[in-house]
Amino acid sequence: MIALEGVSKVYRTRNGQKTVLDDVSVTFESGYNFGVLGVNGAGKSTLIRLIAGSEVPDLGVVRRYARVSFPLGFGGTFHGALSGRENVTFIARLYGAKMREVLEYVEDFAEIGEYFDMPVNTYSAGMRARLAFASCLALDFDLYLIDEVTEIGDQRFRQKCAAAFRERMQRADIILVTHNIHTLRQYCDRGAILANGKITLFDEIGSALGRYHRLVQESL
Amino acid sequence: MSEDERARIYCRLSEALYHKGSRDLAVECARSAFELQSQKEEVANLCAWVFSNCGEHAEAATAYEQLLAIRPHWAAGHRHASGSFAAAGRLDRAISHGRTASDLEPLSSEFAFHVGCLLETVGRPAQAAVYLMRAAAVDPADARVLRQLSATLFVLEQSEQAVALALRAVALTPTDPLNALHAAELLLRTDRYDEAAAIILGVVEIHKEDAVGFRLLSATQMLRGRTEDALVAIDRALYLSPHAAEYHFHRANLLHRLGRLDEAAEAFGRAAALDPSNPHLKRSQLAVYFDSGRLVEALAIGGELIGASPDNQEYAEAVLQVLHRRLEMLDADYIVLGERPLRRVLRPRLRPTIFAALRTQLRVVYALMMRETRTRLAESKLGYGWALLEPVLHILMLSLVFAVMMRGRPPIGDKFFIFYYTGIIPYHLFVHTSSSMTYAVSSNGPVLQLPLVSTFDVIMARGLVEVLTDVVVAIILLAGFFAVGRGVLPHDFRALAGSVVAVALFGCGTGFVNAVINAFFKSWDKIWAQLTRILYFCSGIFYVPGMMPDWIRDILAWNPVLHAVDWFRSSFFPEYEPHWLDRSYLAIVAALSVAAGLYLERGLRRHLYEPL
Repeated sequence: MIALEGVSKVYRTRNGQKTVLDDVSVTFESGYNFGVLGVNGAGKSTLIRLIAGSEVPDLGVVRRYARVSFPLGFGGTFHGALSGRENVTFIARLYGAKMREVLEYVEDFAEIGEYFDMPVNTYSAGMRARLAFASCLALDFDLYLIDEVTEIGDQRFRQKCAAAFRERMQRADIILVTHNIHTLRQYCDRGAILANGKITLFDEIGSALGRYHRLVQESL
Repeated sequence: MSEDERARIYCRLSEALYHKGSRDLAVECARSAFELQSQKEEVANLCAWVFSNCGEHAEAATAYEQLLAIRPHWAAGHRHASGSFAAAGRLDRAISHGRTASDLEPLSSEFAFHVGCLLETVGRPAQAAVYLMRAAAVDPADARVLRQLSATLFVLEQSEQAVALALRAVALTPTDPLNALHAAELLLRTDRYDEAAAIILGVVEIHKEDAVGFRLLSATQMLRGRTEDALVAIDRALYLSPHAAEYHFHRANLLHRLGRLDEAAEAFGRAAALDPSNPHLKRSQLAVYFDSGRLVEALAIGGELIGASPDNQEYAEAVLQVLHRRLEMLDADYIVLGERPLRRVLRPRLRPTIFAALRTQLRVVYALMMRETRTRLAESKLGYGWALLEPVLHILMLSLVFAVMMRGRPPIGDKFFIFYYTGIIPYHLFVHTSSSMTYAVSSNGPVLQLPLVSTFDVIMARGLVEVLTDVVVAIILLAGFFAVGRGVLPHDFRALAGSVVAVALFGCGTGFVNAVINAFFKSWDKIWAQLTRILYFCSGIFYVPGMMPDWIRDILAWNPVLHAVDWFRSSFFPEYEPHWLDRSYLAIVAALSVAAGLYLERGLRRHLYEPL
């Protein structure tokens, strides 16, 4: 369960201040998968990072009653000069996981072969994403945060990810940001709309999509 | 007994029975009388009266026709016959008698109104108008007549006159809801919404239980663009009459218009439950599902629509549109998960205890330190070689230069290497930690994206790696001196440990301060590098402060690193006990710098690092 209590977050941009969250208090119950909807620039990624704890709110607190993953979808935490193995070792050590199990799992899952022992600098974007995906799955989180995972390898690898996630979703929740309506419907049973600094929760992803659809039309 | 008498007795009996309330028997007796002597005026008169009062309209009509055969110009008789025929469902005869009645007595408003209504009913509005106008001419203050005439004229497309008459009817009977609603309806149909609204609001003000009134009010408000008010009105109408499918339909349309799609869908569902065969309703329901993106439901409704009316082009197009949208979405990049797996609900984790949090922090710092060392090895070819080489080069260079200048003797002891070693090691310990911590945040950006990692962790890890590296290097160097036969062991290990800890703390505290300053002034690390170079000359590395004039030494004594060097040095040279050395000064400055660094880092943490 994730509880946002009076959370505000403001960004200074070139065009003045941008309010991402304005005194928001919502609870993401455990046992449900949430899909986060919002127009581009509404601050979905910021919300994900606030939930993860990668960012701290300007005001208020984010309470986490679960082991929350790092936001999945960017391989940005990898150090380019280090090999995939060294990077995964670091993450395993960081989260206090069993090193050997994690390394074996990632090596097996990511399917990047001998690149696993080469510097991450030499990877393609797809390989980085695979490594990130695999290392996130290798760690046992209660809540996975996924931010716009789009191109993870070929169709076969995507199927594999889906199967792995399906298995994992029996004991973990996800909060998902994506523009792909089909993915949202497949993974999520509840919805959240982020607009104008407020979050509206919906018990049905369908209703959230309906409202969001309407919102987008209005803004056109 | 003659027929005449029997008929008269039946008549009396019938009348008596009717007054006693035995209607069936009264009708029976009247029939018998009528069979016996229908051509007799008083018999027919009584029978017509009994029949019509007992609801036997067909027989009443026959009786009246019998009477009219006797008295053909009896206008009221024609009116009665017309009424009976109308009640018996024979409108043609009713109209014919009604016309005769009105033509015989054109000044009777009632007769003219009656036939007008009949003509209107059978769909002859033009003729109806003639009689209704006659009625209105006779009695221009009868609101009922005016309303009927207004309705007829409206059918004849004389809307202006119709509206004028309707408004006159309302003016005559301001509290009659029928007249008011009629006028409102005509006003609505002639696009005079605001006037209509005024009238309906007047009606529902008085008749608060009139569902029709509220329904019409809702329509009016909708037409005026006040959808929210329309919704309030229809809610009231539904409260009064909860099972009207049309009301639910109207409400659903309003909700749809307001963009409250889920409620609209629900309202359509209710309407459809009450009126399952209405295709218009289904068409609207489909639209709302489509708009809310519930394409599966939309398709289900579409299937029913096409099944019910397979030839309707508009419905077919609507369903095609839904199918297209669905295909568009299937076209996108996605992962098929199949049915959603069943899940157990997770038990929420409690907040970690302070010990667990501390353990996590230690784990994080440890992981970061391991990563630091790895990175350092991976990033440069020399790796840790430089860490060893740097002090060696310094010591060698200083030894060479000063061995010549000092003619073979260092200021203390007899070994140049150890003398410069005792200067370089504490100095490097301070400079390395404080400098490399300066850019710990900026060079660890990606790792800071990880929620577990805070700026404190990366700065601390960087500092600890530097301290450990320098300590290991110091030990290796000393071992090296022994290897070449010039080694000296410190005589006072407590002083050694104390000075190392103090200078390491001072370096780390300054490092934290530097890291915070560097987050706000990007070129601070360059300025700091210059400052450390000045420090090189002010810290007694290659000289002893005692060699300086007193006033210079008093100034230099403000430099904590000078105390670190002298403290460290004193642990190697037992005879070296300078009077200016103040160990507590270094300890206090180190403690203050740590406090300031940690305080600044904690307080400004959220400004140190801007995520991408």
